Amino acid sequence: MGALDGLATGFAVILTPTNLYYCFVGSFIGTLVGVLPGIGPLAALALLLPVTFTLTPVAGLAMLAAIFYGAMYGGSTTSVLVNIPGEAASVVTTLDGHQLARQGRAGAALGIAALGSFIAGTASIVLLTFFAPALAAIAIRFGPPENFGLMVLGLVCTLYMITGSAVKGVLTIALGFLAAAIGIDVVNGRDRFTFGSVNLTAGIELLAVVIGLFGVAEILANVETIARNTLVAERIRGLWPTAADWRASWKPILRGSGLGFLLGLVPGGGPVTAAFMSYAVERRIARDPTRFGKGAIEGVAGPESANNAAVGGSMIPLLSLGIPSNAVTALLLGALVIQGIQPGPLFMTQRPDLFWGVVASMYVGNVFLLLLNLPLVGLWVQLLRVPYRVLFPIVLLLAIVGTYSANKNVFDLWVMLGFGVAGYALRKLEYDLAPFVIAFVLAPLLEQSLRQSLVMSPDGAMILVERPVTAGLLAASAVLVGLMLRRKQRSEGGRT
Amino acid sequence: MKRFAVAFALGAAVAAPVSAQDPKAVKPKDFPTQPIEYVVVYPAGGGMDVTARLLAKYVEKATGDKILVNNRTGGAGMVGHTYLATQAKPDGYTVGVLANLVWGDAMLRAQGKWAYTDLEPIGYLNTDALTWVGPTEGPLKGKTLKEIVQIAKDKPGTIRIATVPGSMWEYLVEQVDAATGAKFLRVPFQGGGAGINALAGGNVDIAQGFFAEFRGLLDAGKVAPLAVASGERMPYLRDMPTFNEALGGKDYIWAVIRFVVVPKGTPADRKAYLAASVKAAMSDPELVAEYRKAGVFFDPALMSSTRLADDLNQYAERERAFYQQTGRLK
Repeated sequence: MGALDGLATGFAVILTPTNLYYCFVGSFIGTLVGVLPGIGPLAALALLLPVTFTLTPVAGLAMLAAIFYGAMYGGSTTSVLVNIPGEAASVVTTLDGHQLARQGRAGAALGIAALGSFIAGTASIVLLTFFAPALAAIAIRFGPPENFGLMVLGLVCTLYMITGSAVKGVLTIALGFLAAAIGIDVVNGRDRFTFGSVNLTAGIELLAVVIGLFGVAEILANVETIARNTLVAERIRGLWPTAADWRASWKPILRGSGLGFLLGLVPGGGPVTAAFMSYAVERRIARDPTRFGKGAIEGVAGPESANNAAVGGSMIPLLSLGIPSNAVTALLLGALVIQGIQPGPLFMTQRPDLFWGVVASMYVGNVFLLLLNLPLVGLWVQLLRVPYRVLFPIVLLLAIVGTYSANKNVFDLWVMLGFGVAGYALRKLEYDLAPFVIAFVLAPLLEQSLRQSLVMSPDGAMILVERPVTAGLLAASAVLVGLMLRRKQRSEGGRT
Repeated sequence: MKRFAVAFALGAAVAAPVSAQDPKAVKPKDFPTQPIEYVVVYPAGGGMDVTARLLAKYVEKATGDKILVNNRTGGAGMVGHTYLATQAKPDGYTVGVLANLVWGDAMLRAQGKWAYTDLEPIGYLNTDALTWVGPTEGPLKGKTLKEIVQIAKDKPGTIRIATVPGSMWEYLVEQVDAATGAKFLRVPFQGGGAGINALAGGNVDIAQGFFAEFRGLLDAGKVAPLAVASGERMPYLRDMPTFNEALGGKDYIWAVIRFVVVPKGTPADRKAYLAASVKAAMSDPELVAEYRKAGVFFDPALMSSTRLADDLNQYAERERAFYQQTGRLK
């Protein structure tokens, strides 16, 4: 069956009232989950998994997938409005998105985020439609050495996230590494830095870290300044992106789509890494990188597109090989297994109705999400008028509920609180917190892939230069570091 | 882990078929008045979670009780196991749906704070046996397990095998190495699925996992089954030998055994009712069919066991013996 015939089958399956309904419900819940800080797609999918028992496989999977990509749409909302990311993949959106809101341009930021999400989401499904089996065959060859190369490149990209003092920036990255080292050693299986605590054996929960560092710390920081006011004193200017915003954004959206798609495809990648790397890329190639962190629309357009494209990318190994590349797709796999369906390389030919039905549902879901999110922009922006003393207790409550719901472990709330206080202190001392998060995400993957590579290599570190993809990624990283050092040298030379 | 096969045989010998008891006949008057929580210590969507949610569905069908499946995750199951053994109220409203991996946690990681006997088994669910799968292309194509072990013996450290550190994935390789003099190169992964992924991508030579994890790739001819670490052959793959058959031994038994427990101290009448409800669900051919579709199998000895707690404890003590032999436990 060709891709177009397949797609026709898929649309025939999905364009029934029942299936459309569940696709819409998924889109709606996804948006909500993305908007609410703390409650991420993973927790929402886990909660709703039992609901799919009673549905047909295609309706169930269409709904769950819609929650996943719907959350990527909604995630930007609180990042922009209140500087608190709705989920981990929207952390970078706070950097410029919230600055835009402070300038009264929240509508533009949210509009670009929604449109970028739509374009990237749809583009990634087009690639999925036509190239899924071929891409899956490439993605699966991506082994530990290639992963290591990718993680090094990601780490170099984090250096571009640093806005203030370089020493402080590198220190935050190091702290991220240290925090990530807590837990079970990936090679020998022993506990590491757990101090005998059961709760630390699996490491620190990313969600609790993000909500603490950004949510709780933001609330603490604001309580002392604007407790009596609304969040954004500026008059709200224009709800929609201007022509100038478009001109600045279309290239970052396309770059973010491509980058996000690739990172979703390979094991270890995913929406979080995709968003961070897209931000770093935009900042690297911008004519005037100093605009970033002060309300550059590209800093919203790129990452928000990238995290959506990553969802499309990560569906490929799942649907074409039956291999989940992250925790959310693992849950989708579980949902299929409960229905008695085991995706694998033959899934597409054995169950074309289901495979193409899900693909078609993703086209439809993205349209639903665009229609849902654009009108909501106006509503969300009005939230800025709500007095801080009303808004923030609600946000804090949601953060607590969301963090607890992920593992049902009270310890995570203490982690959230601890990171909240630490984040507040670090902010006062003018440390950037975004590099901490990305280092925290990358470090375990970096460590594991390096140690795996060295174990499987017959001649030590040579494996890292013998594998062409790894060598290429490492070379690119070296070039980027070189360029960074030269620029720094030049700017220092200019000063003396 | 010694003489696991014997344990299977023993279990079968003492077992007599039990007719499913109607839960309504043993239902306490004042129980349950609120939903019953099934605690799963692993994340939603995994094999354990799927097992528990399907069970909940059929217990609800059989009894009309409301069941909530709750994933208390963290510490690779340790957080949930500790919760069940030390914090959960033994009032019948908290039930653990877990696996024999709880024994290793109790023996190696609980530091004496709790023991596996703090959780009382009330029903057996199903079993997933660890299987080795190899490539369908390259020099190892078409080789049997015995031939591959011979290569690993002749050229030590050249055959790469995916393992999960500190778990039965690693113990099985260790056992094969020790018994045959082979030396496999162990590449660590987080979970069996990641290792099978690496096999399909040519980054390792052998992967270990459960039937459900590699079934899709097997159907497509991308991986080849080598042997299964269970007492008898798998119903789905009659041609695949057991490790015991392939390598000549009786101790190669490594499986995830899933069962239901209540915290020690749960009132006897409630415990009996909960056990009867699990039994009623397991007597439903539809649930058995759903479990089979998910790729698990049923250990006949445990299915018909009348003294489930004793039989499971016997397995647990054999696992303790393995830890003592290998110096993991003093």
